[in-house]
Amino acid sequence: MSWGVRGMTVRFGDHTALEGVSLEVPPGRVTTVVGGDGAGKTTLLRCLVGALAPDDGEVRRPEERRIGYLSSTSGTYPDLTVRENLDFAATTYGLSATETRDRAAIFLDRTGLTDAHDRLAGNLSGGMRQKLGVVRAMLHRPELLVLDEPTTGIDPVSRSDLWWLIARAAAEGAGVVLATAYLDEAERASWVLALDDGRPLAEGTPETIAAAVPGTIAVTAERPGGDASRRSWRRGSRWRTWTPTEDVAPRGARVQPDLHDAVTVAALARELEREAVGGEAA
Amino acid sequence: MTAVWAMIVKEFRQLRRDRRTLAMLIFMPILMLVVFGYAASFDVKEIPVRVLGPAADRVAAVLPAPFEVEGVDPSGGREDAVTALTDGEVPVIFLTAKGGLRVLVDGSQIFIATGTRAAVSSITERAPGGVAVEVEVLFNPDLETSAIMVPGLAAMILLFVGTIITSLGVVRERQAGTLEQLAVMPLRPADVFLGKIAPYFVVAALDMVVVIVAGIWLFDVPFRGSVLALALGAVLFLFVTLGLGVLISSVSENQGQAIQLALMMLLPQVMLSGLIFPLSSMPAGVRWIGYLLPLTYFVEIARGVMIRGASIVTLWPSYVFLAIFGAVVFGLATLRFRRSLAPAGRRRHGAERELEAVGS
Amino acid sequence: MTPLAEATDVTRRFGHLLAVVRAGLRVDPGEVVGLLGANGAGKTTLIRILLGLLPPSDGAVQLFGVSPSRETRRRIGYVPQGLGLYDDLTPRENLAFAGAVFGGEPGTLPPSIASMADVPVGRLSLGVQRRVAFAQALAHRPDLLVLDEPTSGVDPLARARLWETVRQAADAGAGALVTTHHMEEAEECDRLVVMADGRVVAEGTVADIVGDTRVAVVRTGEWERAFEALEAHGMTAALVGRTLRVPGVDPQAVSRALGDVRAEVSEARATLEERFLQLTVGERAGAAA
Repeated sequence: MSWGVRGMTVRFGDHTALEGVSLEVPPGRVTTVVGGDGAGKTTLLRCLVGALAPDDGEVRRPEERRIGYLSSTSGTYPDLTVRENLDFAATTYGLSATETRDRAAIFLDRTGLTDAHDRLAGNLSGGMRQKLGVVRAMLHRPELLVLDEPTTGIDPVSRSDLWWLIARAAAEGAGVVLATAYLDEAERASWVLALDDGRPLAEGTPETIAAAVPGTIAVTAERPGGDASRRSWRRGSRWRTWTPTEDVAPRGARVQPDLHDAVTVAALARELEREAVGGEAA
Repeated sequence: MTAVWAMIVKEFRQLRRDRRTLAMLIFMPILMLVVFGYAASFDVKEIPVRVLGPAADRVAAVLPAPFEVEGVDPSGGREDAVTALTDGEVPVIFLTAKGGLRVLVDGSQIFIATGTRAAVSSITERAPGGVAVEVEVLFNPDLETSAIMVPGLAAMILLFVGTIITSLGVVRERQAGTLEQLAVMPLRPADVFLGKIAPYFVVAALDMVVVIVAGIWLFDVPFRGSVLALALGAVLFLFVTLGLGVLISSVSENQGQAIQLALMMLLPQVMLSGLIFPLSSMPAGVRWIGYLLPLTYFVEIARGVMIRGASIVTLWPSYVFLAIFGAVVFGLATLRFRRSLAPAGRRRHGAERELEAVGS
Repeated sequence: MTPLAEATDVTRRFGHLLAVVRAGLRVDPGEVVGLLGANGAGKTTLIRILLGLLPPSDGAVQLFGVSPSRETRRRIGYVPQGLGLYDDLTPRENLAFAGAVFGGEPGTLPPSIASMADVPVGRLSLGVQRRVAFAQALAHRPDLLVLDEPTSGVDPLARARLWETVRQAADAGAGALVTTHHMEEAEECDRLVVMADGRVVAEGTVADIVGDTRVAVVRTGEWERAFEALEAHGMTAALVGRTLRVPGVDPQAVSRALGDVRAEVSEARATLEERFLQLTVGERAGAAA
């Protein structure tokens, strides 16, 4: 039984937050939703867990007790200790005390939170707070684990611990979906959905998305002039230029596109399309 | 059911740690108890009086309660009496003269005035056919409440704007995280400090002027004294309140906390400063609290200057108290503000936690 | 050539806790230096010392060849993590304030967001807010840019554009010091400085830092079982797609640990992130020992 959404559309007044978005979240796998701020990631995840009713589309999710959700804004009570936060979660989901204690102990130990047992969540660093939030969300062995930008802004060590938790949840059979703005994280997942302005930009496994880039990518030391400059972007100290069709000879060393290139190209293509349409209409 | 219980337990735990709310829960009832138990009274039990004129000794000997004779001056005349009342030395003066007895009352102390009237009429009732006694109310002959409320209002405005509004303004900067950006700009801490409080100074002063002018025009509130005297008092009082505002903001992390703290500082002042309930009707045990509050002194100055026409010289203790209080509070505020101009971390104790706040 | 910013042997104590220990850092004109570190690594403390907000307990700090002062602040453009903009003022008003403080003309917004110059910042999207913050930091033509996690939460195309702005400034002779938690950002820098537990533990380009470090890669159809098996042997496996990567363990030991789980074990070059974790955790273990 795969969880997910199909044809999801959400509008807030005359602003369309999501349009025609579909996503499958199979159990035992990690799925990511990638996009910048305002792309619609949070809206999509909120629809998935039932915190928001869509204007159109269908959702497949387990019952509330079988869902684990970590929102991007607040996963823990800052004025409760680590232990109290977990107690509250355990009691709310009707877990037995011993079962929770053992399970929580393993997670806390593995993520370096054991010493912080009696510290106020508000006094923890960002990374530790997020780890606590994820532990809280998966304490009750949910079938669907939804994490909204759990790794944004936290340090790499915490991020690595967090990914251990994610892997553990998936190993326990949960369908895990997480939102992120970082492509190197998306690369770790088995399925990626890239969103831009509420619409799907690219989807597939990281490899298939990268392989599906039409045309070529060339790397040069300087920004190319003319038409091509509109299709260039900087990465590191060099420039990458996308040439959409095969027959226009590309300049510079050609590279195999990676996920980063693929998403950038898709966003560029959409932007150019919007401009072309706007120009014609004007 | 367990879910409800879990919520209850959680709320209590959070409440236990919210020290400011706990303080309010304990502090407020105590304050209310003190105020309504002891302070809230309009009945004046003791009225200090001075007796002047040729028959002074004789009259002083027989004056009953609630009058307490604190001074006798057989050589004093009407002029001395008016001066003493203007200067606020004593609220009631019994002036003996050939024609009879005249009781001169300070009209800026309404409850003392009404109390005096009532006491005098009950005395003359009990001893009819005696000397002719006439009560004359000076400064506020109709005993209009607006006359004493308008100066009080002026004081409240300075207090409110100075404390609450200023603290909100400064805390807002810390909450938004822009304090950090200011710390890195080529600004001196003094620039930031002055720039932050000057607008509130201006607004508070303007507000006060509007209220007083409206009082004079619409309610015929008198303004007998010098504008300079009131202005000086206002400036000194503003130093106190602005300083308090900045101090409050320096120990608050967000606007909610700032308001809680500001309210706890404001309410006792409003209740116990003589603004609403006269100090003279409070038992000595509670009255001394009033003498510690800055608002008490500015209300003294405002009422004295506006209604009685008192001068800076005669009101000097109030000015001095405000000046000292202001210097201390403002000084502390400047020091704390300097320190807080470093990028904000969470309020923690111990090097470890500071390290963590700083290292994240 | 005078470095724009230089920290030499800087140590900073808070009580008896050492936040920064004998750290050295330098930013020259035209280069983008990335400062990478976990929480508590001392990154933020070092930055504050460089900005002149905190004095070092030991060692020396120089900005543009002199000690940090109110004057050196004029030559620095700082974009903190919180962006440092007033939410209730418009971009135009924010730029006017900064312009008045730094002296000179107020900054201008890039043409693509100029239409939003009169909308309160709080109502703009994060991407646009960031570009306003950058415009404000660059308005007074600073010689040194200090950026704290400049592109956190921004989509790839917008990120590339923000970095373009930084690069333009560097091309014109300014230098940039960027703190980051994210490898994608680190890879945009010319040079990296890696901190762990208050010390500088590695320096150089990505290639320099990763060096020869390798990890074991496990390809299997039964990744859950493989994961459990490795865990049972005390080996930390990281899930990447459908493969498991095991740093710090030789492939043969991994094969043995997997037992009867059908899998293909090979070796690959470590990523910057894996090398970084190794450096950080290693430093911690060393400090604890």
